[in-house]
Amino acid sequence: MPVPSGSAPTEAAESLCRGWYEAYGAPVYNYFRFHVPLPDVAEDLTAETFLKVVRAADRFDPSRGTPKSWILTVARNVLGDWRRRAKLRQYVALGTMHDLIHDEPSPEERLLREEEVGRLLDAVATLAEADRELIGLRYGSGLDTAEVAQILGIREGSVRTRLWRVLGKLRGALTR
Amino acid sequence: MTERNDAEAELQELDRRLRGIAFAPRASLGPEILGRLRRGERPEGGAHSPRRRPLVAAIAAALVAATGAALTLRAPMPVRVDRCCYDLDGGGHADDGVVILAERDAMVHQLRIYEDLDRSGTFTERDVVRLDRGASPAMYRAATKGLVTIEHCCLDFDGGGPADDGLVVIGVPPDRVVMAAIYERRAGEGAGTAGFPLR
Repeated sequence: MPVPSGSAPTEAAESLCRGWYEAYGAPVYNYFRFHVPLPDVAEDLTAETFLKVVRAADRFDPSRGTPKSWILTVARNVLGDWRRRAKLRQYVALGTMHDLIHDEPSPEERLLREEEVGRLLDAVATLAEADRELIGLRYGSGLDTAEVAQILGIREGSVRTRLWRVLGKLRGALTR
Repeated sequence: MTERNDAEAELQELDRRLRGIAFAPRASLGPEILGRLRRGERPEGGAHSPRRRPLVAAIAAALVAATGAALTLRAPMPVRVDRCCYDLDGGGHADDGVVILAERDAMVHQLRIYEDLDRSGTFTERDVVRLDRGASPAMYRAATKGLVTIEHCCLDFDGGGPADDGLVVIGVPPDRVVMAAIYERRAGEGAGTAGFPLR
């Protein structure tokens, strides 16, 4: 149920948005968190993505893929737009890991966990854009290799090969 | 052979560590998106397909040129931005919002901090107003101790388009707010001792 720009949404559109957000909100948010250092920005990009997909819902074609892969394709475009705009400004990181899910019982263990994740994401940030994209889709969104292949428009075997190669680069970045 | 096995084991370990990373968006993000949808808020880039981009870009460029010409001929119109939900009063719950009436990327006319009591993700008459100020940032009901500063950066708080505004709120947790203002983080501004002017 698409929503024309500027008009109030119908109940069906709201229901669609709620359902899609409940099902795919976390994968989309995690995809952004693998690319941007600030939770606030990831939230804004997630909101932007869902506003777009609800308004463009009539373009979703189930025969060409799952809602998840379509929504993540929109998320990739939203990220691309943000990157172009982000070149024009600076960011200050504030409490960058408060959204990390953890099961460490003590503050010290949580801190160590945050540092470990911070090191990993810093290393991811040093990769080339195409490599970061692969990592974001595979580990941020939790897509399987077939879904990643569908979004990137390449063969599943290529995804596996490239993923292995990117992990090697990441290991190199972590040991530098 | 052992070296290769070691390398594979390291990559598998790295794969496991990456799989273990998970973030959770704040619980109020879903209601906020629904609230923005209800208000008819448009996504920044519009809902267009990649195939239409060249045409859309040409139309947008023409519109921007026409709008720019029109704007030079009349006074700027204030826009109303409603952002929810964050923990702005230090109460520990992301249930506060901010309503800002501002000229795009410029002067703030009104800034209101509210607690989203009805969980609508937007300001309604049922919500509690924690602070309501006019054009100039000022300290209200100043406390002598226990002041806490809460800051959120960067979002679009002034309707200018880019998410380049910070919000700073000073209060006494859990529910007193004595000052709130926004500032703009443009590249190149705020260097040295000048800082970012509060609005």
